[in-house]
Amino acid sequence: MKVKINIIEQRCKGCNICTEICQAGVLEVSQELNSNGYHPPRVKNLDDCIYCGMCEMFCPDFAIWVTAMKKEEIDI
Amino acid sequence: MVENTRKLHPADYFLYTDSIPSIWCPGCGIGTVVNTFIQAVEKSKIDFEKICVVSGIGCTGKVAEYLNFMSFMTINSNVFNFAANIKSENVDLKVVVFSNNADFLVSGAADFIEITEKGVDLIVIHTNNILYTITEHGVIPATPFVRISVDQNFQLPFNIPHLAESYGAKYIARWTPYRAGWLMYSMIDVFSKKGLSLIEVISPCLIYHASNDRMGDSVERMKFYDKYSVIRQGECTENLDIRAHNKIILGKFVNKK
Repeated sequence: MKVKINIIEQRCKGCNICTEICQAGVLEVSQELNSNGYHPPRVKNLDDCIYCGMCEMFCPDFAIWVTAMKKEEIDI
Repeated sequence: MVENTRKLHPADYFLYTDSIPSIWCPGCGIGTVVNTFIQAVEKSKIDFEKICVVSGIGCTGKVAEYLNFMSFMTINSNVFNFAANIKSENVDLKVVVFSNNADFLVSGAADFIEITEKGVDLIVIHTNNILYTITEHGVIPATPFVRISVDQNFQLPFNIPHLAESYGAKYIARWTPYRAGWLMYSMIDVFSKKGLSLIEVISPCLIYHASNDRMGDSVERMKFYDKYSVIRQGECTENLDIRAHNKIILGKFVNKK
């Protein structure tokens, strides 16, 4: 299944739970800062994502969620 | 340019998105509890207009400000009376209480005992952060056994599930934010219960326990939950004291009809 990981960087507080809880190693901490001065997560390799939704379940600030990609967004 | 981020996340429908990000510390367990509560409401498919959220003071009291249900933030240690009065007038409502150590153990415990004996239909989600935030140096009812205060006091910690069972609560469970999936499913269970049901969530305060008890930041604390907790379903509630050298026992302990 093609999957898209959505991140609202403004809401992130940099607790790094999502990068730690991801068993497939999809997410990593980015070097950029958001408007509040925290390091939000960044998608490293999307192909490994297994759509478990753990990052969405654990996020305390409602900043990350996983959706299935639409047909137009998939480039083959 | 400020990006418009409203109504994007699937949980945004149940939130006041203007006040997000919340005031809680990065990685605080209360945020995960609120997130799992919203997912439980979505999965159980009950009418969200029939849910009423009551919370008291402190960090947990802020829950009512962020949730877009019928939500009330009441004064100190009056949450249980307030919620029971709402329930007595509106029988159709599901009243959910987000309580705190300060709401529960200071003077709210007497109200809790009275309400539990009467069998009022309430859902209590108690976030136990092992302190009241103001009294860092004193002994409180939830202090772990080995910790000694500045003036050399110590005491046994208060066993909240045993209190609730001895007064006849119908459903008692205890989880940590690390077991968010288990927590979500016991919240779904609770929506179909009649009578008082209690879910205790143990999430130590990041600010005080990070420095004093060396739990570290949010990631290290997740590892702490994994290492120092054990799941025993149906354990006798007498054994559920939190002591420093024992593992924290998690599970679903009481499930009556």
